[in-house]
Amino acid sequence: MIRYILKRVVAALITIWFIMTLTFVLMNSIPGSPISTDKVYDVALQEALNEKFGLNKPPLERYIKYIVDYAHGDFGMSYLKVGLTTNEIIAAGFPYSLRIGIYASGLIVIFGVMAGIIAALRQNKFVDRFLMVLSTLGATIPSFVFATLYLFLFSKILGLVPAFGVKPWTGYIGPVLVTSVFSMAFVTRLMRTSMIEELNQDYIRTARAKGISEFKVVTKHAMRNAILPVVTYVGPMVAMVVTGSFVIEKVFGIPGIGSLFTSSVLTRDYTMIMGITVFFAVFLVFCTLVVDILYVFVDPRIKYE
Amino acid sequence: MVEKKEHIAPELWVPLQEQEKDSEKIEKPSLTFLQDGWRRLKKNKMAMVSMFVIIVLVLSAVLIPFFWGYSYEEQTLTLSNTPPILKVYPIQDESNDMCIYITKSYDAMEVTHKGELVQLIQPTYKDVITRKSTYDLNGKELVIDYSLYTQALKEYNKLEKKYADKGEVPATAAKYLSHYFGDEAKNTTVSLVEAKNILEEKIEKCSVTYDGNRLTESKSVWNKTFILGSDSLGRDLFIRVVYGARMSLTVGIFAALVNFIIGVFYGCFAGYKGGNVDTIMMRIVDVIDSVPVTLYVILIMVVIGSGMQSIILALGLTYWVRMARIVRGQVLSLKNSEFVLAARTLGASTGRIFVKHLIPNMMGTIMVAIAMQIPNAIFTEAFLSFIGLGISAPMASWGTLCNDALASIYVYPYQLLIPAVAISVTILAFNLFSDGLRDAFDPKQRK
Repeated sequence: MIRYILKRVVAALITIWFIMTLTFVLMNSIPGSPISTDKVYDVALQEALNEKFGLNKPPLERYIKYIVDYAHGDFGMSYLKVGLTTNEIIAAGFPYSLRIGIYASGLIVIFGVMAGIIAALRQNKFVDRFLMVLSTLGATIPSFVFATLYLFLFSKILGLVPAFGVKPWTGYIGPVLVTSVFSMAFVTRLMRTSMIEELNQDYIRTARAKGISEFKVVTKHAMRNAILPVVTYVGPMVAMVVTGSFVIEKVFGIPGIGSLFTSSVLTRDYTMIMGITVFFAVFLVFCTLVVDILYVFVDPRIKYE
Repeated sequence: MVEKKEHIAPELWVPLQEQEKDSEKIEKPSLTFLQDGWRRLKKNKMAMVSMFVIIVLVLSAVLIPFFWGYSYEEQTLTLSNTPPILKVYPIQDESNDMCIYITKSYDAMEVTHKGELVQLIQPTYKDVITRKSTYDLNGKELVIDYSLYTQALKEYNKLEKKYADKGEVPATAAKYLSHYFGDEAKNTTVSLVEAKNILEEKIEKCSVTYDGNRLTESKSVWNKTFILGSDSLGRDLFIRVVYGARMSLTVGIFAALVNFIIGVFYGCFAGYKGGNVDTIMMRIVDVIDSVPVTLYVILIMVVIGSGMQSIILALGLTYWVRMARIVRGQVLSLKNSEFVLAARTLGASTGRIFVKHLIPNMMGTIMVAIAMQIPNAIFTEAFLSFIGLGISAPMASWGTLCNDALASIYVYPYQLLIPAVAISVTILAFNLFSDGLRDAFDPKQRK
């Protein structure tokens, strides 16, 4: 058990190191200095900036400083947003994205699992067919189209939600819904498949034969086993939510970390890109690690492997 | 004992017809793996319809640009933002025989009765303060008065302040409402949202007067010049959507190739060698896979700049991971089978074993995995283009088309709707087709 967890932690650390190195190499292989933009700087200013960002040092020294700084949680100064550290910018944007992410994940798991169970219990009946059509559509229409249609309907025609930003709180409804559509469709299918498989098992027949109510058979026996694939999907789900935020925060005008990342990529603010990429990676790897460890408790079989 | 001989007349002895030879045999023709899968695929109606849609899509993406009258970058600035269906005012008298289309910015455009766009008419006098434009059509005067909407908007803004807390508005409170409801205005109350809706959608926003008479009769005609309308720079939306299909399909095909070449061989090698080589190679896959591919693609795009080549390169570097994992799993179970042992004993090289023995045996799984990756790649391209990292102007992809339409979504919704429908239909077709393919070729994976 402890061996298993240790192994996972080491793997997570290696992953983070790999991504940090890759980001560093990529960002440093861009031709020209990040500071030499279209604007004409004088030489003294350019040298001062090089000195400030440590760009005049050899790459290896910069790499070591980068790893050490990041290990201490210091992501450096933004090149373009004068006077702000990447940490401050992330700290300002992350709460919005985190809130949307948490609500969306909750929605995905609760509704996805429920819809999957309902579809499995009514297999090949109308409700099942209907849910399957919905989930096919959910996995087909791009999130930016959903987002725009949502805004068109609820903001422009009905005037119920703000078209931009998260004030008042109704502004959260759209981003959360749109973020969760794709994964919700996936979870529904996943849950339906594994639920159908479990319901055909012998122990379910035994439980029914003992005279346990159908509700208990479904919730206590079948669901506990059928939910395991959904638990494994949480890692990829967090990844979906993170990448989804790039688009959704742009459409809904939310100052979260996804729109920060997009804008720093478009303005080529390299320290920001590096900082946010590593931040994303750490966040994702951490979520996957937590799921891996939780999995031991959900599925005791794994202990003996 | 009397032997009874039965005599058969010699003319009854005829050779058997060629096709009757096998009539006693009870056997079906043996089917190859592909034939068998194809037979099962043909029974799946959804998959066949999807396949048809994909074929039509590929053919039109390849062929239509060769004979279409416009190129994707051809701009006609005066004919910008025309929808696919035009609401026109026909004018027919001794000096003029044409239709007038009023654009959303209240300019008059000359349209033939069939719906071909002719030109934007130059006003002789444009009064910005009273919001009236005057045109001279072969000696007759055409006046467009677009002050109606602004007046109504003013009234609505007053209503919004006055009735904000009540939420209900009597229809007599504003002129545009009482005009809209006519005789029933006295007894009607509407909510503020409804009042706004009437303002935006229902009432006439401008009045068109020709030769002193107000034109009330209007008809709808199809836009014959641009069958799906034109965008904000007057480019033909149809050909741009077709070009978008080219981009998306190129990306999809390339992703499939990468999957096939890198993914399959990487997975084969790792699985076949086993041991430490396998462990290290699969750790690398794990590490790459633990962060969404989109993030890598974005990083690579930052380095090499946006554009078609960079999308393809970025996809190529990262898109093979999942395939490698699937193939490795298959190889692990296949490499100990007798036919591989036999091949090895006969001295076949590792490469030959891969190409001639392992890969043909995994073809079903590989095909299914590829078919599932193509829509993912198309999605990724649309997504990147949408956030401004993909194809750059003047090239068109479905993602950029959607992004371009976003700025004027409330005024020209068709500009978003058309590429959005195109993406959705394509992805749906690929998804259903790959589902069908999976059921036909890889029944073990069936979900």
